[in-house]
Amino acid sequence: MSSRFPLFQHRARFLVAVMFTAAILLVAIFVHHPALQAQRSEASGLTVYSSQTSYSVSLLDINGQPYVGLVELLEPLGSVDARPDGKKYKVRFTAPGGHPEEAQFTAAKDKAKVRGENYKLTANFVLQNGRGYVPLASTANLLAKLLSTQTEFHPEGRRLFVGISPERFTLELHPGNPSRLLIGFASAVNPTIATEPGRVRLTFRREPVAAAGPDKTTYNDPLITGASFSEHDGVAELDVTGNAPLMANFADGGKTIIVTGAPAPPPPPPVAEHVPAPAVQAVPAQPPPVPRQPAPPRFLVLIDPAHGGGDIGAAITPSLAEKDLVLALARRVQRELGSRGIASGLLRTSDVAISLDQRAVSANAARPALYLALHAANTGRGVHVFTELLPAANASPQSFLPWDTAQAAFLDLSNVVAGSVAAELEARKLPNATLQAPLRPMNNIAAPAVAVEIAPPSGNVDDISGANYQEQIAQSIAAGIAAIRGKLPEVRP
Amino acid sequence: MTRRIVLVFAALLLIALGLGVYAWQLKRKVARDEELATQQQLAMAPPAAGPPTPVTLYVASDPDAALRRSKTSLVLPAERSERARAVLRALFGAYLQSSSPHPIGAGADVRDVYLLGENTAVVDTNSVFADKHPSGVLAEELTVASIVATLNANDNQIQRVKILVNGQERETLAGHADLQRFYLASNIGQVVKDLQ
Repeated sequence: MSSRFPLFQHRARFLVAVMFTAAILLVAIFVHHPALQAQRSEASGLTVYSSQTSYSVSLLDINGQPYVGLVELLEPLGSVDARPDGKKYKVRFTAPGGHPEEAQFTAAKDKAKVRGENYKLTANFVLQNGRGYVPLASTANLLAKLLSTQTEFHPEGRRLFVGISPERFTLELHPGNPSRLLIGFASAVNPTIATEPGRVRLTFRREPVAAAGPDKTTYNDPLITGASFSEHDGVAELDVTGNAPLMANFADGGKTIIVTGAPAPPPPPPVAEHVPAPAVQAVPAQPPPVPRQPAPPRFLVLIDPAHGGGDIGAAITPSLAEKDLVLALARRVQRELGSRGIASGLLRTSDVAISLDQRAVSANAARPALYLALHAANTGRGVHVFTELLPAANASPQSFLPWDTAQAAFLDLSNVVAGSVAAELEARKLPNATLQAPLRPMNNIAAPAVAVEIAPPSGNVDDISGANYQEQIAQSIAAGIAAIRGKLPEVRP
Repeated sequence: MTRRIVLVFAALLLIALGLGVYAWQLKRKVARDEELATQQQLAMAPPAAGPPTPVTLYVASDPDAALRRSKTSLVLPAERSERARAVLRALFGAYLQSSSPHPIGAGADVRDVYLLGENTAVVDTNSVFADKHPSGVLAEELTVASIVATLNANDNQIQRVKILVNGQERETLAGHADLQRFYLASNIGQVVKDLQ
């Protein structure tokens, strides 16, 4: 072949070489395109602590710098109306009970206007797919300016304190047999506790704690040898080390954690054939274990902002996806429920993908008194409150429930909730309807469950994201739930 | 030397652009072929003969969240599953009109209707139906309810309906309505009442 068609072979090689180079060029063009450079940071996020709430915001790696979504950053702190306008990005933020404050950013520029004054970001503002991102390093100053409050940023730990100071904890060693290390907090804490030989690690994700003294303390004690505090990836960690196994206990309603020596494990049981049976029953060296008290029942509303990540849901407008709209609405509903003394949780707090089965598994594991799914669409008008389209079942909620029809046992209570929410929407003169729908994963939920889908109130689809409209809907949902709270059973976690 | 680099870069840029245009044309060709295939499929439907038969369609309307019963006349094939398919294609035809108050994606079609036993219909739609369907709880529910109610209204032996997409089971229609279950006509009947 090569001897018969040398010219062909030469041309073919040349063509392959040119195409290969062109492909590399194409890849290079794509890789260097700014829109494609953003990647979600794998391991870290920013944790924000404020007087109302603590929350995490995922970071985006753009040109090697961490960036934060402006709406994600502001939403938990108040009401946000943000929209792109060409290369501009206009933000209107209203703190609860406060006045609206405005900021304006420009894509690929570091100059902005915040509350009418010039403001300089530490790096260029990024506008991508209708969403605005600011550099992480600018967040503390930007929030201080926009919210007129003090902020404190711990860059190494990616922890941001807004309107509050970090709560300093104290360490007090009580030598003895065994020694005890008392860790005192200003308010109750609930860290994750991990133990390993000679070490107890307390991880604080939601508590704005910080060390009062030096980060590292060494003790001249036979049991407890030291304690070190560190912050990283939006969490705070306190490591207590010792010469023997340690354990941690809560005291004083969660305001104190006591670290002390763990009891020695019981000796291995003797091999039966080598030990004669005792004539009398031996008195145990340790007191018998106290049966664990079951947690008291509580009333928890689990809010499921639908979609997330690559699943954007409905494209409400070219720049507004259902997944973002419902997350903002979920936070409003959570605030409204909180103001009525009702505990609630969000199934997702950031733009992450969760499968329908995962949603149902997480919701059922949380054992809520009520599951509330939030959806949005640009078809139809007003607010639709849905219960699951399943034939009512006679099964008891306590019995074994089939996965596909778990909701059937709760339909009566779900209908009560839907009716109450619809009545509150009606009282606020919001167009509404109550319907049944074959909606996943509502059929898998083993608790009273409703889904609320919001559509524009009028013919103008942009009105769906109006702050007043969303506030009215959030108030209606919360008031509707509060009105029938007594009819829904509390559930043990 | 610099001039040569510029020339090589310009040449590579031209090649890259050329490849881009070629890829775009390939994409258009695939789309044209798919459209042609759909038209051929339409042409292959068995010819129906005989007098027009009155049929009932439950037609959805998004603005007022309603399902409306309407009557029309069609020349229907004799075979039961073909009749069901023809009725559903008439329903889809209504939704595909530009003035439809419940639009579905252009190119949406019913590939086949299979009857399992006396009372179960399996509706196989094409992928355009699900891929281009407007996303929303209400919009998707209206579509599903209109399909089930229309089938049941024209063949009251059909009591259970399952919807497939391109021969496969799909989790949801467009992110909301469950497509993994069998829909009961009796259950959908309550929805139809609520939506009228």
